Amino acid sequence: MKKFTTMGLLAALSFPATAVAAGRPNDMSKLDRAVSRPQQNSAPDNDQTLRALHDEMQRSRARLSIPGVEKPFFIEYRLVDLDVRAITASFGALLSSSPTRVRYMNVDVRVGEYHLDSSNFVSEDGFQGFLGPSGQVGIDRDYNSLRQDLWLATDQAFKSALTQKSLKDAFLGSLTKPPEIDDFSQTVPVVAVDPRLEPDWTSRKWEDEARTASAVLRNFPQIYGTRVNYYLIYVTSYLVTSEGTTMRTSRSLAAIEAALDTQADDGMSLHNFLSLYVEKPADLPDPSIVSKSIAQAGTELMQLRAAPLVPDYTGPVLFDPPASGAILSQMLPPSLSGARPPLSMLPAFDQIMERMGGRSEWSGRIGTRVLPPGVTVVDDPKATEFQGQPLLGSYAVDDEGVTAQRVELVQNGVLKNLLMSRRPGPDFLNSNGHARSALLSDTKPLNSNLSFQSSDALGTADLRKKFRDACREDGHEWCIEIKRMDNPALSSINQQDFSDYIGALAGGIASGEHAPLLVYRVYMADGREELVRGGRIDGLTLRSLRNMLGVGNDASVYSYMQNAGGGFAGTALGAFGSAQGGIPSTVIAPSLLLADVEIRGFHGEPRRVPLVPAPPLR
Amino acid sequence: MKRKLRSQNILIAIGALAAGCACLAADGPGRSTIPATVPAAAPAVLTAMQDELDRSMAALSKGDPPVYFISYTVADREESEVSGSNGALLTSGDNRGRWLEVQTRVGSYQLDDTHKLGDRRPSWTSPGTNVALDNDIPILRREIWRETDRQYRAASEALIKVKTSQQVQVQTAEGNAPDFSREAPHASISAPVEIHVDRKPWEECVRKYTAAFSKSPAVLNSIVTFTALGSNQYHVNTEGTKLAFGQVHYRLELYVQSKAPDGMDINRYANFDWLTPKDAPDDKTVLDRIQTMIQETEALDKAPLVDPYAGPALLTGRAAAVFFHEVFGHRAEGFRQKDINEGQTFTSKIGEQILPDFISIKDDPTEAQFRGQMLLGNYAFDDEGAPAQNVSLVESGVLKTFLMSRSPLTDIPHSNGHGRRQPGFVPVARQGNLIVSSTRSVTNDQLRAKLIELIKAQGRPFGLLIDDIAGGFTFTGRGQPQAFQVLPLVVYKVFPDGRPDQLVRGVDIVGTPLVSLTKIVATGDTPDIFNGYCGAESGSVPVSAVAPAILISEMEVQKKETSTDKPPILPPPAHDPESKGNQP
Repeated sequence: MKKFTTMGLLAALSFPATAVAAGRPNDMSKLDRAVSRPQQNSAPDNDQTLRALHDEMQRSRARLSIPGVEKPFFIEYRLVDLDVRAITASFGALLSSSPTRVRYMNVDVRVGEYHLDSSNFVSEDGFQGFLGPSGQVGIDRDYNSLRQDLWLATDQAFKSALTQKSLKDAFLGSLTKPPEIDDFSQTVPVVAVDPRLEPDWTSRKWEDEARTASAVLRNFPQIYGTRVNYYLIYVTSYLVTSEGTTMRTSRSLAAIEAALDTQADDGMSLHNFLSLYVEKPADLPDPSIVSKSIAQAGTELMQLRAAPLVPDYTGPVLFDPPASGAILSQMLPPSLSGARPPLSMLPAFDQIMERMGGRSEWSGRIGTRVLPPGVTVVDDPKATEFQGQPLLGSYAVDDEGVTAQRVELVQNGVLKNLLMSRRPGPDFLNSNGHARSALLSDTKPLNSNLSFQSSDALGTADLRKKFRDACREDGHEWCIEIKRMDNPALSSINQQDFSDYIGALAGGIASGEHAPLLVYRVYMADGREELVRGGRIDGLTLRSLRNMLGVGNDASVYSYMQNAGGGFAGTALGAFGSAQGGIPSTVIAPSLLLADVEIRGFHGEPRRVPLVPAPPLR
Repeated sequence: MKRKLRSQNILIAIGALAAGCACLAADGPGRSTIPATVPAAAPAVLTAMQDELDRSMAALSKGDPPVYFISYTVADREESEVSGSNGALLTSGDNRGRWLEVQTRVGSYQLDDTHKLGDRRPSWTSPGTNVALDNDIPILRREIWRETDRQYRAASEALIKVKTSQQVQVQTAEGNAPDFSREAPHASISAPVEIHVDRKPWEECVRKYTAAFSKSPAVLNSIVTFTALGSNQYHVNTEGTKLAFGQVHYRLELYVQSKAPDGMDINRYANFDWLTPKDAPDDKTVLDRIQTMIQETEALDKAPLVDPYAGPALLTGRAAAVFFHEVFGHRAEGFRQKDINEGQTFTSKIGEQILPDFISIKDDPTEAQFRGQMLLGNYAFDDEGAPAQNVSLVESGVLKTFLMSRSPLTDIPHSNGHGRRQPGFVPVARQGNLIVSSTRSVTNDQLRAKLIELIKAQGRPFGLLIDDIAGGFTFTGRGQPQAFQVLPLVVYKVFPDGRPDQLVRGVDIVGTPLVSLTKIVATGDTPDIFNGYCGAESGSVPVSAVAPAILISEMEVQKKETSTDKPPILPPPAHDPESKGNQP
């Protein structure tokens, strides 16, 4: 809507609530009091945002109408207030450092009714407004400018909804049997106004820390390029709906993400990455500790350079944490959503979703066995830690203002539940508080803290014995153990590398292609582990998880940022995000022993190594 | 330490050599004189660039395919920006970045990897990478090495495609022009520029200015942006050019949006540009301009739509300046003559009369001022390292040449210092300071009298006075630049019987605007200057256009299509009589 500045291109994060006071469904007096609370509340921190949201909401609800045309039945205001520092260093030198303070709003207006409304419809045509229902708004947290912006955005959203609704009605009229599932579910309004977090950058010199942490890679002259990124992020989110929901929540995230790359002597491109996520900037480790981890990543990359190529292989594969968490983060989420896909006038839309692994394999299969007996899968946004490890996916209220719920998705291998937003699906109608989004994009039912555990879990020794037994039965001299999966969003040095990588990977997503990073051959004769390079997992689909050889009892937390950009959220590519715009999530997973996994060795044409040798790093 | 000493010695040697080259170049035909200055120590970034350039050329010129030309450009930009809307700040911050662009050309000057294939659109964006802000020579060199390798690979692959298509495709006439021009080396190393901006006072100004706009209910949205840009550019190439030069520029932009009752979008835009902090516009100047913009907006909201019309039109100086920039200037850009997708209006017209014989046009980026006012399109070297030149494009109505980058035409083998780009784009020929002059000028009052004479002579009910034109270089912040769309924004009907002028809106020029230029019958005597950013293929570059008012004997206009998006349903919150109680 507003001019987007040349700086501050850093995408926003959307963080859900930390603390909440839920309004009771029938307690209208409490609701009324709560709705008027923002006005009293605006004084202490001089934040006029909720007052402006509330007043423009009241005006729109009461008076926004065109004679002879249906009035809105639902209006939603969302706003994010971002204070972000992004710092990038390379080999000890600063590449960029940009503080960004920015606010964005999004207005959703629906016409129709809960059963059939203007949403859930993709069409080519639509309303072409002069400003649109979303955009950048003032950072002063003042009253007048925000009301002006909301006024125009609400007007545009209403006109857009009217156009969408008439297009949708026309499209439904052309179908022999229109879908019977409701468009939107009812919910209990929530009122929760949290204190606004004031950014605490602490007294640390972040630019110097990034320099120091990255300088250790000067000891690795064979590394071609590197980026060490520090992200310090504060987000305050606001949500006001015409149903009475009023929320202000504040959260922070601090991250270090490092990428390093090189080429093997035969020309194969190789890379490695490091990621570290904590809640507050002050919790980030000292640069001397960070540089040790970065040096470790550098050492691994040098080992990869020297490693032999992996040959084609089919047989048992042992995934250790964090590789097990990472592979589950790629395989499970597309099938966890119970929301129905939007109606589309464009057949290409469905094809694209399918190609990116965005089609649910579990929809319509409630009550059937989808995973090995004994396995329980739970998504719990309310959990804050697992065995002392913090869980970053936590929230109290989701991005649609629905109270978060712990959801038992799979019990003893049988599918029991799906993740729901307020968009109903064929199996379930009501939200269970899992609507999540980034940068005010459309909310989708997404996992938060996803736990995969088995009642038949094996101890490490037993699991490894099972691994060896399976390997011998298959007649292999060695078998494959995967210790880390790749994440192109983190291991690519620049956007072009990421796009190329994703492009190469996306074609194989639907057929179960996955990219491991640290792959070992484990020799049966002496138990020796040997790092190999260049392998791809092929044909590993969700169905292959129904029968596993074993599940370990060594569950640990894998933290990652779900990628909500490019329609990736809820697809297999959604696992590849970064702190720059990603949705904080965790997977709690133990070691997984799978039978009959196909590993394809490298069959491409490696690029030649540079004709000019690298200049010295010192 | 040892390394450092040695590279400094080399630098001094190169400096001396380069200075010699510059003198030689100045003696060459058609070259302007740019004295080389060689400071005691070259910036670290230039040292790193030269070190890698020498190393890369030594190795890659023996590669397969061999490189024949390498250039490195680093754009080091420091920017402070404060923007606001409707009385509040949108952003306020500083940003600094160093952007490296590497050219590794394989093949030959005649035919290289950049050769255009068939009617395929070339990629306008240029690959590049961020490099260290710290003056850490080994790390700067590492990024340069990496990017050189990337570009060399890409160029090698591209050359194979070029050679294959050469064998199978028919070549057009201009397709036989060389792909790249050989240029004399230039050396000039100036001290880097810096900006020191206190954003706080500007934050207050931006709030105050946008709040002033909000006083009018007609203003739906306002954006005010203050920008300070300190830009240092470094360039080395294997022909021996070695440059470091900088520019500082301050700018204040005002933009408002409104909607007429029938839904037509109404926009007004104004900008102030200055080079030193003391020349910043004062509050009164800006607030007066804001009042004018509000008045224009409110008047345009109420103005009637124009009826289809053909007849005489008078363009004021600033409207004429934009008109010449859009309609003539872009068509005089050399690269368009090579592109078969272009209209190529002028391609074969050199030496022919294309404008009335009293009109001459030059593009002179070497001028920093015109009659005491700054020219935004001023620069010393273009983005390919060629020195800026004053280019006489039209003399007494006759087309003489084109604006040239290093992409030559068959008959124009060299750059004339107009290869320009925004960092991140490939340089192409662009305008700098387009200056229109006339030998048939009368006072502006006399020009108006002539307009009325023409209206009467042609028996028209009225004539048009065009006071402002939107082109590709008005507001750079929003959307896709419409490089050639010329849309009159502020147009008055002028009546022959002495009635007051009447503001109209929705004016769309019919047919080729270029035809209008041939129908200029007279000009005013006071040139106006338009400073702005021009958005086109190679991104957004600062330009100026200077022209006197022009009288056109016939211009045809029709009604512009209006938007279907009607004005907002509810009144603005701050001007809503039913909810005054909400105001703080």
